[in-house]
Amino acid sequence: MIVLRYIGSRLLFLVPQLIGIVLVGFVLIKAVPGDPATLMLGPMASADSIAKLRGDLGLDQPMPTQFLIYLEKLIRGDFGTSWQTTQPVLSDLRTRFPATLELVTYGLLLALLIAIPLGVFTAATKRRAIRKLGGAYGLIAGALPDFWLALVLVFIFYSQLHWLASPIGRIDLSVVPPDTITGFYTIDSLLTGNWEALVSSVQHLILPVITLGLINAGPILKMTQSTMERMLGSDFSQYERLCGLPRQLIVRHAFRNGLPSIITIVSVLYGFLIGGAVLVEIVFSWGGAGQYAVQGVLNSDFNPVLGFVIFSALFSLIVYLIVDLAYLAIDPRIRH
Amino acid sequence: MPVESQSQIEPTRAMWLLVARRAAYGLRYFFHFLRVYPGYAAGYIIVLTVALVSMAAPAIAPFSPISADATVYLQPPTWSHLLGTDSTGMDVFSRLIFAPRIDLAIAVLGTLVSSVIGTAVGAWVGYFQSAAGFKSFLSNAVMRAADVLQAFPVFVFAIALVAVFGQSLNSLVLAIAFVNIPIYLRLMRSQVLRIRDLRYVEAAYIFGVPDWLIIGKHIVPNGIAPVLAQLSVNIGWSILLTAGLSFVGAGVRAPTPEWGSMIAMGFPNVMTGQWWPSVYPGLALAITVFGFGLIGASIEFLADPRRRRTLAAGTGLVPNRA
Amino acid sequence: MALIRQARDEPLSVGSKKPVLETDNLTVSYRPYGLPPVEALRKVNIKIAPGEILGLVGESGAGKTTLAKAIMGVIAKPGVVESGRLLFNGTNLFQLSEEKLNQLRGASISIIVANPRGELNPLLMVGQQLANIARIHMRVSARQARQLALDMLKAVKIPDPVRRFRAYPHELSGGMAQRVVIAAGLICSPQLVISDDATSGLDVTVQAQILDLLKKLARERQTSMLYITRDIGVAANFCDRIAVLYKGEIVEEAPTGAFFEGPSHPYGNLLLAAFSHNSVLRKRWSTELEQLQKRETPALACLFVDRCPLRQGRCWQEHPELRDLTPGRLIRCHYPVLRHRP
Repeated sequence: MIVLRYIGSRLLFLVPQLIGIVLVGFVLIKAVPGDPATLMLGPMASADSIAKLRGDLGLDQPMPTQFLIYLEKLIRGDFGTSWQTTQPVLSDLRTRFPATLELVTYGLLLALLIAIPLGVFTAATKRRAIRKLGGAYGLIAGALPDFWLALVLVFIFYSQLHWLASPIGRIDLSVVPPDTITGFYTIDSLLTGNWEALVSSVQHLILPVITLGLINAGPILKMTQSTMERMLGSDFSQYERLCGLPRQLIVRHAFRNGLPSIITIVSVLYGFLIGGAVLVEIVFSWGGAGQYAVQGVLNSDFNPVLGFVIFSALFSLIVYLIVDLAYLAIDPRIRH
Repeated sequence: MPVESQSQIEPTRAMWLLVARRAAYGLRYFFHFLRVYPGYAAGYIIVLTVALVSMAAPAIAPFSPISADATVYLQPPTWSHLLGTDSTGMDVFSRLIFAPRIDLAIAVLGTLVSSVIGTAVGAWVGYFQSAAGFKSFLSNAVMRAADVLQAFPVFVFAIALVAVFGQSLNSLVLAIAFVNIPIYLRLMRSQVLRIRDLRYVEAAYIFGVPDWLIIGKHIVPNGIAPVLAQLSVNIGWSILLTAGLSFVGAGVRAPTPEWGSMIAMGFPNVMTGQWWPSVYPGLALAITVFGFGLIGASIEFLADPRRRRTLAAGTGLVPNRA
Repeated sequence: MALIRQARDEPLSVGSKKPVLETDNLTVSYRPYGLPPVEALRKVNIKIAPGEILGLVGESGAGKTTLAKAIMGVIAKPGVVESGRLLFNGTNLFQLSEEKLNQLRGASISIIVANPRGELNPLLMVGQQLANIARIHMRVSARQARQLALDMLKAVKIPDPVRRFRAYPHELSGGMAQRVVIAAGLICSPQLVISDDATSGLDVTVQAQILDLLKKLARERQTSMLYITRDIGVAANFCDRIAVLYKGEIVEEAPTGAFFEGPSHPYGNLLLAAFSHNSVLRKRWSTELEQLQKRETPALACLFVDRCPLRQGRCWQEHPELRDLTPGRLIRCHYPVLRHRP
């Protein structure tokens, strides 16, 4: 019951927050110089046709009106059209957003697989050298440019060793992508039994996922290590030792107590990477949503940018909501 | 000590003597710290080296960073072209050592601007959060605005800002500053919320010290430590952001040497096996940012009074106290 | 009156069986990095017989918690056990491996801590935490462990034990949390229970109940106790013997009754006088700070010399050793107080 009420109150805040984000995005994008009508029609277009197009697009209206028109369309589910792809933004995002999500999700999973065991181990060990190594990994991972690491990996594993497929896109050009159910190529090909697509999409996922995983393991490792050290040094850990509980159990309890901090940073990373993986997407021609938005900004194509911002913000807010629910489940102190 | 001679020293001179003595102690402690922890010292050495090399670049560079000799394009590293040439024939090494001038300048300036603004606003917001009337409303409004700003995808936001301000070095600085303000804002605000509950702040308030003086003299100096630790890390991250922006073409324009744009220019060649135009700039980026990260870690260490004292005690550097 | 007389009865078995715990010249010091070492415990010798309650009294900084930690084997840097033996039923604990020590902790030697709500794991139900201890040390199933935990909660007289089993530490009051920690200390029926200032933060009435409970359980199970406290009044009603710790040294050790009839060491008298109603006594034993001349305490002086109202020349020059005053009473003083006038 408490849970439902909590979700309800959070959802209530969602709408004004989203409107605020759309507003800021709108103001920002309108401040970018560049006339979409001119860009769409090309340099040879006549002044008349440009003016007519501007009228059609509603670009000659005052700003507040434009904003309201956009909002109204938004409520009806119309995100506008991208003049670069000539498709409605919503349908563009329907393929591109899952593409980014698939990449980022697997990347984060790999990062967790690397960082959490390492973090727990380096915090629980008695040897100072190992602890410093953990800190060093965090520093190095935070210093590597992600697009550069992607390039280096492509160079080594594709150009030199020829172990992996060509690093273009999500799937081999010769393979037909699976039918869209979730938008995740891996899941969809599993669900439809399309083994060829599965193999190909996995092959294409390997390098970008490794890139994202290695780099994002850094902050997660740092947080895990510092949280575990704090928990292991706290009073209750000392008391459990005084009661003769074995070290393994004490470490396990300390981890459980430190989960909220770790979950926090993972959720922040998750929201950040939706837009933050764009450079990796560009290196691998991934066709993701971040790439889509960046192209939009660079070419004064407004609707994709706004659409992406809204999707990304919505995603972040939902992730934060789920995380807060997780806190409720983990920590009994919050329930009151 | 006879009292008469002391009264003959003016108060301001005595004050400066005290400051000088404290500063000298601090410096000696710092160098001792570097000697005991050479790992942290490496960070300072890296950053200093990069800065010095970039400043000396006009004298050191064998070639001009922007002159292209099409006859020697895509040459692997040789003795004349230490790191090879890129696809237009420009010398990679020369461009590599000229590039930090831009990267460092943008990152340092941008971070400084954002930290000053963010810290000031954050301190104000934290102090007046539960004040009566309009001030607290404004404080909460600023926080909600910061929430909205932070919900924006950072990269897209930065590109949009560069597009708005026009693609120039100044606009890059502004974009970096804008993107980083919320970090300092939140950091300082949480520090202020913690400190303003302490008794001596309450005492100052009761004595009628004006708000701005309380914030300036009591709260900010005590809360500034995490901000200082964050500065260095932030500079490193801003360098990466600048490089990323240049990589997509929204940052520094070719042929100006910049590590990110160098990587972008060499990108198509990597697939065909000419790795040097892209790999070396990335390496330089990684090492530099790593150096800044180490500096940040060392500041964190120095700001922690327990570890600081432990180190000082073993050295005989402890000043004469009872 | 009856209560006090009961406490002064001889404990159940003194001198007839081997002591449960015995320290032999135990010396522990702290060596902070770069600074001269500080001796926290100097050549401490204590003996606790089976079923005996020994009260360890001392002021803050005297070394009481250090002694508790040394017995539990959790002295950590910068603390170092310099020398001495720690005999538990004849075995020197300093020679045991960490695993063996861990098996002893909670099962044969347990400790009841102060600030229980800060020491219990905030994310686990208190009953579950008790069951964990039982499960680890005794060969019982999970269900049996839970039953043992529940029985223990009933034994410590927690109101509504079934519901409290599923409670979290922050939901309990201070007194209830203290009972849980006592339950944790007794659940495996250890031979020695250390209570480190465990009742000092409680309301007086709650404190009385807890102490009665502890005493009853200890007597029932023949458990020895080391009761560490700063409150000498509580020690009077609770302990069989009293040992006084000052600056890391045992300065007096005596049966409770004898001690409270008249302590032999000046420090013990200072402690009693501080509680006393008798104004003459208070005057005689208070130390006027101006009267005492500050002199450099030489290395070989008695450690109490800068605060002692009875000090004389010899006290500055010779460090007194612990010796028998009468059988069963130990004293470390050149001029012990032998006759007490009201």
